[in-house]
Amino acid sequence: MNNLFAGKNVIVQGITGAHGSFQTKAMLAASTNIIAGTTPGKAGQEVEGVPVYDSIKDIQATNQVDITVIFVPAPYAKGAILEAITAQIPLIVCITEGIPVHDMLAINEKLKISHSTLLGPNSPGALLPGVNKLGIIPAAMSLKGNAAIVSRSGTLTYETMAGLTDKGIGQKYVIGIGGDVIHGMGYKECLELFENDPDVDQIVLIGEIGGQDEIDAAVYIKEHVTKPIFAYIAGHHAPAGVQLGHAGAILGSDQESAGNKTSILAESGAKTANSVTELITLVSRDHR
Amino acid sequence: MKLLEYEAKHVLAESHIPVPKGSTVTDPAKLELPAVLKSQVPTGGRGKAGGILIVESQDEIQPTIDKLLSLNIKGFTPKTILAEEKLSIKKELYLSILVDRQSANIKLIAHKNGGVEVEENTNFKSFNATDNPEVLGQQLADHYELPDQTFALQDLAENLKTCFVKNDATLIEINPLILTADNQLVAGDCKMTLDDAAAFRHDWHFEEKPAEANFVTIDPSGNTATIANGAGLAMATVDAAYEAGLKPANFLDIGGGANEETLSRAFNRIVEYKNLQVIIVNIFAGITRADEVARAIVSAKKQIKELPPLFIRLAGTNYEAASEILTKENIVIMPNLESCLTTAKEVIHE
Repeated sequence: MNNLFAGKNVIVQGITGAHGSFQTKAMLAASTNIIAGTTPGKAGQEVEGVPVYDSIKDIQATNQVDITVIFVPAPYAKGAILEAITAQIPLIVCITEGIPVHDMLAINEKLKISHSTLLGPNSPGALLPGVNKLGIIPAAMSLKGNAAIVSRSGTLTYETMAGLTDKGIGQKYVIGIGGDVIHGMGYKECLELFENDPDVDQIVLIGEIGGQDEIDAAVYIKEHVTKPIFAYIAGHHAPAGVQLGHAGAILGSDQESAGNKTSILAESGAKTANSVTELITLVSRDHR
Repeated sequence: MKLLEYEAKHVLAESHIPVPKGSTVTDPAKLELPAVLKSQVPTGGRGKAGGILIVESQDEIQPTIDKLLSLNIKGFTPKTILAEEKLSIKKELYLSILVDRQSANIKLIAHKNGGVEVEENTNFKSFNATDNPEVLGQQLADHYELPDQTFALQDLAENLKTCFVKNDATLIEINPLILTADNQLVAGDCKMTLDDAAAFRHDWHFEEKPAEANFVTIDPSGNTATIANGAGLAMATVDAAYEAGLKPANFLDIGGGANEETLSRAFNRIVEYKNLQVIIVNIFAGITRADEVARAIVSAKKQIKELPPLFIRLAGTNYEAASEILTKENIVIMPNLESCLTTAKEVIHE
């Protein structure tokens, strides 16, 4: 897993689009080794000095590809992810928002029998400060270090990362798993990665109301995680039954409330906070 | 997108799932009697609220329609009335199909007792919708204790799954699923949600419903409005405002790629809260660009005269350009959310 995110040769699918080209520039600036990009029908062009190909297969004719970051618009994202799975790229990071859930169900079936790991979709990607910027997490607010952050909310990830950076607490991993109903890597896979990486000395988990993911994470924490872990569940004051923002955040039963998830995480050994500010304070205090 | 009952039943019928005979009321004189008239509102609890009425004679028709059209159910009045045949009911069951987040699979959920009280029941049974239809038919028949309906349930399960996938649905709930006196299975009522993200590959023409915006009122008498980007950050902003002793009026996620128009609409809604004293803006730009947000704030400040003081936290992509735009207009950017909230608290008066 460690090697997955540290992979050297990175490509960008949908590199010629508005988001693709803008974010390619930012990833290059954060010293990510982007060797090529794809947009069907645009082979031969260049984006920020990066050569554009029609397909992943064309890139693989001369290069090994370790990681792909996908910015392809939602209607074409299924095709892009399936292309990456077929090309056996070890890590697929999908930033695209708004992929139909039935497309993700179909992709999920292929993933189960593939050699690839998917992060996303609707994810800000992963940032390993000083190593790799795989997606849109703003590198300027990060600091190289030994904390690890996992979250299903994009902007809340940035907020927490910036807060830790302000306090001089650097990060080895900042990972957004995405808020969609059907997605790739979850909390469990990230916690496993953090627990097994000797560089990581403390873990920050950010969750939301709705769904069971954080409850499953708590079970995993109780059984497997030995490192200090800090958690915050957003939505303590969310009204029940109303969808808040993206697909994941809808408070169904009491079990899915921020209060219940927080107490289950606390029982599993995590130190819990009721706001981001409190979360950041907790981490810094313990770190000293 | 949530469909109204008549729209959902039309979609079911296209997939060969039996629905009661009926149509939306256009010419009251042509109604076949007796008829069940049903208010088409996008909310539950309609029967209890008096939104379903039976008409037996000609002279009852118009008054009943008028009554339904003016009946407000949980904030909704109908544009459409559905008229259906009156069924003789032997048994009411529950059947739904949905995308299950935990197993990343499509599941059928069944219950022996259908009807309005279903929320209070707990004995739901779930089945993998991707299993062989013959197996599913048998399982459903066993669960419902209706052995002579095995083949009908097999067809129903298969058609429902086809309907679900073909229409990019995320939920279809048939409640009640009616077993009629002459042993036919018919969808008595149906709630259906289609995946908005899949709209690009469908030619959907459904009734306009109030947009489920990412704007939710939490407390209309609150003194603090919140604007943030991303659902998580928006929820976290509300949580932090509470913790800081403010009273948040709303939750608002302006989403990724927010621009001048989205923000201007947000400000216009917010100023309607009568106790509003401060506005907290918490934007962490990733895919959104901070300079566009800054331009939107400047233009909103110019357009809306009565705008309460803004406490702005802005960071991330294109921050430098944003800072330049706002500084030129003497608008202050706070270094973090904490300082926004502390400063906002100081200007609040009871």
